Amino acid sequence: MNEKTRRGFWKNQLFFTGPTLLIFFMVMIVPFLYGIYLTFFEWDGISSSKPFVGLDNYAEVIRSGSFWGSMWLTIKYVAACVVLINGIGFLLACLVVSGIRFQSFFRASFFTPALIGGLVLGFLWQFLFNHFFVSIGKTYGIGLFSKTWLGDETLAFWALVVVTVWHYAGYMMVIFIAGLMNIPNEILEASKIDGAGKLKQLTGIILPLMVPSFIVTVFLSLQRSFMVYDVNYSLTAGGPYGSTVLVSMHVYEKAFRSYDYGVGQAEAFVLFFTVALITLLQVYFSKKKEVEA
Amino acid sequence: MKKRKLSAVVVLLLIVGLVISACGTNDSSGSNTGTQASGGSNAGPKNSAAAGTGDKYDGNEETPVKITILNSKGQIAQVFEEAAAAFSAANPNIEVEVITVPSGQSPFERVSVLYASGTPPALSMLDAGDIPKFQDKALDLSGEKWVNELSSPNEIDGKTLAFPFAIEGYGIVYNKAVMDEVAGGAFDPASIKSLSDLEDLFKTVEAAGKKPFILGSMHWSLGNHMLPLAYVTQPEGVEQFLANLKAGQVDLASNGPFNGLLDTLDLLKKYNAGKDDPMAVTAETIAAEVATGNVAMTFNGNWMISQLEDVSPNGEYGFIPFPLSNNSGDRWNSSIAVGATKQMFIDKTVNTVEQQNAAKKFLEWLVYDETGQDYLVNKMNIIPAYKTDLITTDPLGKSIQSYMASGNTLPFGANYVPGDHSSTVGAIMQKYLVDKVDRAGLAKELEDYWKRVQ
Repeated sequence: MNEKTRRGFWKNQLFFTGPTLLIFFMVMIVPFLYGIYLTFFEWDGISSSKPFVGLDNYAEVIRSGSFWGSMWLTIKYVAACVVLINGIGFLLACLVVSGIRFQSFFRASFFTPALIGGLVLGFLWQFLFNHFFVSIGKTYGIGLFSKTWLGDETLAFWALVVVTVWHYAGYMMVIFIAGLMNIPNEILEASKIDGAGKLKQLTGIILPLMVPSFIVTVFLSLQRSFMVYDVNYSLTAGGPYGSTVLVSMHVYEKAFRSYDYGVGQAEAFVLFFTVALITLLQVYFSKKKEVEA
Repeated sequence: MKKRKLSAVVVLLLIVGLVISACGTNDSSGSNTGTQASGGSNAGPKNSAAAGTGDKYDGNEETPVKITILNSKGQIAQVFEEAAAAFSAANPNIEVEVITVPSGQSPFERVSVLYASGTPPALSMLDAGDIPKFQDKALDLSGEKWVNELSSPNEIDGKTLAFPFAIEGYGIVYNKAVMDEVAGGAFDPASIKSLSDLEDLFKTVEAAGKKPFILGSMHWSLGNHMLPLAYVTQPEGVEQFLANLKAGQVDLASNGPFNGLLDTLDLLKKYNAGKDDPMAVTAETIAAEVATGNVAMTFNGNWMISQLEDVSPNGEYGFIPFPLSNNSGDRWNSSIAVGATKQMFIDKTVNTVEQQNAAKKFLEWLVYDETGQDYLVNKMNIIPAYKTDLITTDPLGKSIQSYMASGNTLPFGANYVPGDHSSTVGAIMQKYLVDKVDRAGLAKELEDYWKRVQ
């Protein structure tokens, strides 16, 4: 294949990216479009009759108090997670590049939770919350831990946040480490000579230069917390009494437990739209704050 | 230049080959966590899990046939696969592949996905309540030999569309060793005929120094097993009662059986060994406590025998009826809710006639063949739904069979409720368990739920 001609150029492109593009198209685009098609029908997933109902499903989604309740709960969860994941991730990254002893060991161990699948994580922490913390609370008389966190609505919500932060802080820490390493040392030295203290260095130099890393980490943590299902399912299963049903779980239950595919798919589409909008806005506004070193 | 191009092509082919082989691996027990929120119901061409169709063989009996069977009873997964292997060994031309749906997952969802991808199993095991949805896809089995042997007819619109695989029942499970010790001899479950009898029993157990009861907080236990006892004991019958509930014509707060059920539940809450933190009591906890003898009784079904035997392999257990009133004469106070919870239907839409016949053979094997019967009754601890002299080997199964033999049974309420009853109504019952809502509130929330059901 000859890159010199136009045709040759495209043939080359297709040869290398073709298979992946095809798979992406079949696995993501086609189901997505089919899903949108399904939102205009009423279907229970198996019956042969699929009556056309137009925009009824979307109307029901807008009317549905439980969907918006789940959405609001998810927004609160996302806010808590994004702030904590990025905050703790950044602090850990600063800690790990500051030259303390065993820092490679710490680097590896902080990253390890990110390698554990969400389902396993949920069951692990369920055991910790239900039995381990409770027995510590009972032995030492700590009120907060003597009853399982998963039995109370507010505490179960924070349990979800704790598990998600533990899961992803290490992952973001690695991204921040890369960002911190990229800050040229000369600038920091120059600022020290000019009399800048640690805090001024942090706010004036490090943070602005870390904005690209923050764009990435905020985007990843936003997207992952919005779409969470596995930890939600294994840690709280939506309990206690349905108070921690986040929006993905609500979609799943609507489509597969209440056998209402049309509405479930419409909800999923609304979720997709919301997340896409939020993440696009986030990336757009953050890009404006980027500073070149 | 040529050498570089050749090696590029070879490397690319290897990568593509790797990707295709990875995509084609068999997903026999994967769980469908719905993270593809926008993915919809289409499983796409990448997942060809079942592969039970596409046989291009003629109608010759002896030609090889491959069928897929979906097992949705997680507890017997391994034994079921052994049974399938034994069946294949006895019928060399039939190859059986088993797909297992783990416990707690919706078999309906798995089967719908398989239908959507065009590869439904020949034989699928579903919850009884899901079978009507598959009416147009199920093969009519009314002409099969075993239909006349069923303990009770299993018909929809006068046609037998599914083979009742397992009979299950639930009530108050008691640890025989503990109860015999407390009673100072053999304990007779038939002596408990009313709410006050049960309360006296609890007091006797407490006086003997043992904990009488532990109540599991599982939504499926409270919502789909305990509460439906009130549905099936209504004077107008369960189906009419539920129709009235959907129409909003029932006042639960003044309903006799409903209040009787809640009186018993209040008693259980009072004596609950886990009452400091009721929501922390899980299915594993109650099994461990009863099996070790720490607690004498709990509320669950005969399926928990596998968990009990994990802890204490040779324990003896039995069922006490769940009282719904204080009147010893009421029939339901001596009855156990029993029903065919898992049913298998044969797909007639995609599977070929040979595959359907092979599936029919499997069912006959389970009913008539000695090895099949041995697997079903002894190894899987299933109570068969057909008349048989075989008695199951596990103590809870034996207890259920004795209630069936004496006719002291109630319909299995969970077979009549919609798919989200377990999680939604279960959540409401959990609120009542921790006193977040009182009886009036509970009645109202239940009525609201049923009015929303289509």
